[in-house]
Amino acid sequence: MNKLFGMAIAAAVGMTSTFAYAERVNQLSDERVRQAIAYAIDMDTIVDTLFEGKAIVADSMIPNGSFKAEGLNAYSYNPDKARALLKEAGWDDSQVLDVVYYYGDQLTADLMVAMQAYLGDVGIQMTYRKLEGDVGGQLSKLPTAEDTSGIEWDIAYGAKAALALQEYYNGYKSGSSSYAPGDADRDALIARINASADPAVQQDAFKDFERFENTKLSDIPLYYQQLFIYESARMNRNGGQYGNDQFNYDWGITKWTVEPDANGKEVLYTNTAPAQFFEHPWLNPGIYVFSKIGLDRLLTANGSLAPTGGQLAEDYSVSDDGLTVTFDLKDGLTWHDGAPLTAEDVLWSIETAKKVPGINAVFQSTFEAIESMSVEGDVITLNMSQLDPNVFLTFSQFAPLPKHLLGDVNPAEFQQHPFWQNPVGSGPYKIAEVQMNDYVRFVPFADYHGGEANIDEIVAFPSGENDGNVVTNAASGRLDFGFTKSVADVASLEAMDHMRIVPADIPYTRSLRMNAFPKAASK
Amino acid sequence: MLTFIIRRLLITIPMMLVISFLVYLGLELTPGDAVSHMIDPEAAARMTEEQFAEMREALGLNKTFLERYWIWLTNVVQGNFGHSLSGGVAISTIVLDRLPATLELSVFALVFSTLIGCVLGTLSALRRGSGTDNALTVVGMLGVSIPEFFFGLVAILIFALNLGWLPAGGRLLPGYETFFDRLPHIVLPGIVLSLMMTAGVMRYARSSMLDSLSREFIRTARAKGLPAWRINLIHGFRVALTPVVVLIGFRLPTLIGGSVIIEQVFQWPGIGSEFIGAVRGSDYPLVMMIALLSVFAVLMASLIVDVLTALIDPRVRLG
Repeated sequence: MNKLFGMAIAAAVGMTSTFAYAERVNQLSDERVRQAIAYAIDMDTIVDTLFEGKAIVADSMIPNGSFKAEGLNAYSYNPDKARALLKEAGWDDSQVLDVVYYYGDQLTADLMVAMQAYLGDVGIQMTYRKLEGDVGGQLSKLPTAEDTSGIEWDIAYGAKAALALQEYYNGYKSGSSSYAPGDADRDALIARINASADPAVQQDAFKDFERFENTKLSDIPLYYQQLFIYESARMNRNGGQYGNDQFNYDWGITKWTVEPDANGKEVLYTNTAPAQFFEHPWLNPGIYVFSKIGLDRLLTANGSLAPTGGQLAEDYSVSDDGLTVTFDLKDGLTWHDGAPLTAEDVLWSIETAKKVPGINAVFQSTFEAIESMSVEGDVITLNMSQLDPNVFLTFSQFAPLPKHLLGDVNPAEFQQHPFWQNPVGSGPYKIAEVQMNDYVRFVPFADYHGGEANIDEIVAFPSGENDGNVVTNAASGRLDFGFTKSVADVASLEAMDHMRIVPADIPYTRSLRMNAFPKAASK
Repeated sequence: MLTFIIRRLLITIPMMLVISFLVYLGLELTPGDAVSHMIDPEAAARMTEEQFAEMREALGLNKTFLERYWIWLTNVVQGNFGHSLSGGVAISTIVLDRLPATLELSVFALVFSTLIGCVLGTLSALRRGSGTDNALTVVGMLGVSIPEFFFGLVAILIFALNLGWLPAGGRLLPGYETFFDRLPHIVLPGIVLSLMMTAGVMRYARSSMLDSLSREFIRTARAKGLPAWRINLIHGFRVALTPVVVLIGFRLPTLIGGSVIIEQVFQWPGIGSEFIGAVRGSDYPLVMMIALLSVFAVLMASLIVDVLTALIDPRVRLG
């Protein structure tokens, strides 16, 4: 930390150059400069100090595992090499890089200070600022017809939380990225990672992509963020598996138990209840409590989110060419209000989701590939215009919603529908009481197709994943289960005797997006 | 006095109009709009301009600033406060849901701080220069100089987490039906919120009481042989009360505006935290409603202070 502090002071003293420049050649378009930046930042020290060891240094956008290519250059801290690369590239040290971010936490601000110090040490000046207002537009505005950058920043610090690994790279497709100029070789690699649903074939394509990007560094991968599941000593999963709790998987919640209270009632306390309305499940399918325990999907998945079998579907299949997908619903499914859950509900949900703005990227990609759909009894048939490698992944996360309650919704105002004040679902727990912004009380759904759940009542409070009240609530016994990515929260929770922490590796990569498009002449 | 009150109420109308326009303008000048706050930045990158336009049209954000303000104003005049842009909930529903929580907390703090502050301030003045006076002076200085959130965190640590006497936060739990069920939840945030107010009232009450006790009418009362309690509490305290009433009166707006910090620290679902969320999300119908309620409370507090001052002190003439 002393080294970081000293470098921060040195960088701050050196920050005397002007922001203005009459003409500007974007030197970030030179991959040697991007590589120099990667070499200049000591991520090992940052992870050990700022992140207290609760992150994993990244050498690629793809997380560690079977899809990771061997022998990638990790760009381990090497300031001499960074200086040499900058000299070779003719780096103009009067330039000041504009680095942006969109997180409001202290850790991000600290990371910016550290980056400024490290880059200053090799002769790169930077300022940093938090994006406000239309953040999406400022991050993703595409270049103009003249191929001049549509975005103002040079480097953006951000995250990619991928449901499917393709999400890491599909955004680089020529004409799609606000910061990485199109490349025919990269387009060919994108086609390869999307060409097959066979993991063995996909693996090779992904590894080639990683090697390609390892040199290009359109994004400089910084670290893999971990997810930390916390549970109180009162609760027991009874063999239920752990996994990526930001999404949905077969965690066996119907078998969970919790120590009974004085009245012999099993009550489990959790968080992520709504403050003003229940978030719909088609953007973040597994973050909020109602989406997790109140809604079922056609399929289920394991902790790594690999689809493993049917949930609402009794049976499912895909044709050899991947263009026809069928789901056969279980008999006698009902919504929490007693209305039958039918194939028509599923069909309507897909059709509506296609029109709702800003749904999950993987869902969107699957739905765009659906050419036509039909229903016959309990069987839903999807005819795809092209193979979608993630079609089963989508349907292990996409929750159908009740047409009879939402049929009149305007997709542009989907989240504003009154349904989201007290939604009706299909999962193992149904809503018994909503005290908006105080708590939501869930009770087991007696007609659940997977059998009635053990825990008598789940009470959810509105403190969320990044809420400082997580620690207070856990300390006062009002939190039995939840998950967080906050390093500070984890340290506090670990110190409590009655809480246990289960770390989970998730595909969540923090990186620096390098704007390599030519910039406007002056700024 | 009736003429004065009517005139002041009439003046409130143009003042609220001007202020509403300024608040609306302020929101307009902040970067982004409700749609850009509603959509996750990564999801926004995948949306088309047409989708953004559809959302803005559906929420009425495609019109010009003046058009939107006029529509909002005419609706409010007709009693239609609109809907929250983020969740579609009627503004009146949100305010009616949250205002009771804020009122509970604020009234508790106001009553507690007024009673304790007046008693301690008077005691301090009557025992001027004594150990009690010095101790209360130190306590008062601490009360006004240490931030509320610090008191809040310390109170949670001691009384909720270590001693386990009171809940750490929240307002409602399943099974609560009456105010008395909720009472343990209000004690910590209520007392913490009232600490700074108590210290202020105490300091005002002390100096005002000292000033009052040095007046000639007090000397006359003593010369008449009246008992000390009557001199101090009836004659002295009544006159000393005027500046204290002014101070308390100007705290009445917190009944509506709430205390954002205390609500955050104690997870109190009041209107203050709702206001912060609405400003961050550019949810202008909600911001406007809460802002107007606060402005109205300030104006009414000012009126009440003037009327009460006149009632307490016969020398004051309203005109």
